[in-house]
Amino acid sequence: MSPAAAPDVHLAPPSAPAISAALTETTVRVNSDFRGDRIVLYGAVFDPRQRPSDVVVIVRGPDEPIRIARKTRVAGVWVNSRPVVFQGAPGFYIAASTRPLEDIARFGVLRRLEAGVDHLAFNAPAEQRTETRYGVRDVVVSRLGPDYLDWKTAVVRLKADEGLYAVNERGVRFVDKGLFRAEIALPAEAPIGRYEARILLFQNGQPVSEKDRTLTVEQVGVERALYLWAHQRPWSYGLAAMAFALGAGWAASAAFRRD
Amino acid sequence: MDIYLPIAEVSVNAPLLVALGALVGFISGLFGIGGGFLMTPVLVFLGIPPAVAVASMSNHVAASSMSSVISYGRRRAVDFRMGGVLAAGGVIGAIAGVEIFRWLRLLGQADLVVALSYLVFLGIIGGLMLWESAGTIVRRRRNAPPKPRRDRRPPWLYGLPLKMRFPASRLYISPIPAILLGAFVGVLSAIMGVGGGFVLVPAMVYILRMPAGVVVGTSLFQIIITTALTGVLQAGRNQTVDVVLATLLLVGGVLGAQFGARASSRFRAEELRALLALIVLLVGLRMGLGLFFTPKEAFVLMSGAGG
Repeated sequence: MSPAAAPDVHLAPPSAPAISAALTETTVRVNSDFRGDRIVLYGAVFDPRQRPSDVVVIVRGPDEPIRIARKTRVAGVWVNSRPVVFQGAPGFYIAASTRPLEDIARFGVLRRLEAGVDHLAFNAPAEQRTETRYGVRDVVVSRLGPDYLDWKTAVVRLKADEGLYAVNERGVRFVDKGLFRAEIALPAEAPIGRYEARILLFQNGQPVSEKDRTLTVEQVGVERALYLWAHQRPWSYGLAAMAFALGAGWAASAAFRRD
Repeated sequence: MDIYLPIAEVSVNAPLLVALGALVGFISGLFGIGGGFLMTPVLVFLGIPPAVAVASMSNHVAASSMSSVISYGRRRAVDFRMGGVLAAGGVIGAIAGVEIFRWLRLLGQADLVVALSYLVFLGIIGGLMLWESAGTIVRRRRNAPPKPRRDRRPPWLYGLPLKMRFPASRLYISPIPAILLGAFVGVLSAIMGVGGGFVLVPAMVYILRMPAGVVVGTSLFQIIITTALTGVLQAGRNQTVDVVLATLLLVGGVLGAQFGARASSRFRAEELRALLALIVLLVGLRMGLGLFFTPKEAFVLMSGAGG
């Protein structure tokens, strides 16, 4: 083998950096003793030039509309305002990374990738209208006015309080050279459905490689049967549930009569 | 021992819920009330979505009322005829109430109306009952003669047409006030997640002037019919009945109700009323006074996108 053949194009890894990852489980089964779960993700960074790398893992649950109201004082009593409906917000969201996100990339990059709870792109379409302002056409104006940002941050804050939105600045750790591990905590309140896990490799403030994985959170066994029954045949479910309740009441009374 | 609730989609401590069901069931059997006004706030406090708590309560209340109404029936302490008339009103009220509740949720004002209802109804009824029963207790302690009963037949009530005989209650009265009362209680049942016994019992004593012996059993009988309907309507229209939650509560509830119904004969009626009045008053104040304090969090998420 001559020294000139050293950079063998067929055997050497590609010069462009790449990321690869896999979830240790792709299905989370929700049964009667479900109390949340921890999902472990392993991955590797391939970079022949060994540039400094950061890894960001974003796990997003199914989108669901969010209704939120603000409390205002009317005649000494705190009442809810008219509720505002936000669309496009995930039912579950966590961003785990090797370092704080703002150290990894700039604001604009994070915003475009929806990396971090402050960068989630959801809006309230029913509150928006387009109008012409200062001669500029189709300017999007929100009826919520300058408070719009307060409403959006409130959504994020309340979801975070429920444990459904989180940022984990040290959630991804390199366990060996190029090999990383991330742990995602899924609370018991996490919605049922298809989750998207996005694994991003950052170098020099830019995303250079990306992998997408899916995770299914599904109810199994009796829980699934009940859930489907309640949602697909609600009337027969309601009647059966009530018949069961009345029967249980009667049975208890009958049981107590003997002694 | 946590258990996952399939409809509420949260996980809760099972023994705690059974114990809670037993305690509320005992109170239910003792006083002849559904106990929903106690249970619903506690469930919400435990993190169960309010819509699911309110709806699943109907099943629990129906079960524990069923359990104790049979005991009352054996002692001939149920006026089935009066109960049927009240329930006819209750059916109308429950259907209207479920629709009103949907509409309030769409407006985002369900929380306000629920809290105000608790404050106003529990406050007024608890206050009146406490005043009346404390007066009776004080007079008995002093060996004073009982206050002469006022005219048992208020003319505005007994002058109404379509009079019916209610032999078990020894009444000859028009069913109109009973139907109106039942309808009002049915609306409350759907909005507040309660059976409505705390309104029904005093109204039957002070307005309809039924004998105290049949009031509790008759109230439970009407509650079964109203909550059975509310429970089915909530499941059918809103898909918010969690049968696992209801089962956990009713396991304790039916047993507790048995002991409650037995214990009730060991107490004097006015002492029971005074105790119930205190509980009612405290819950009403606890639920309602929150409206006057500046909230820590200015925003509130509302569950259920469609209302």
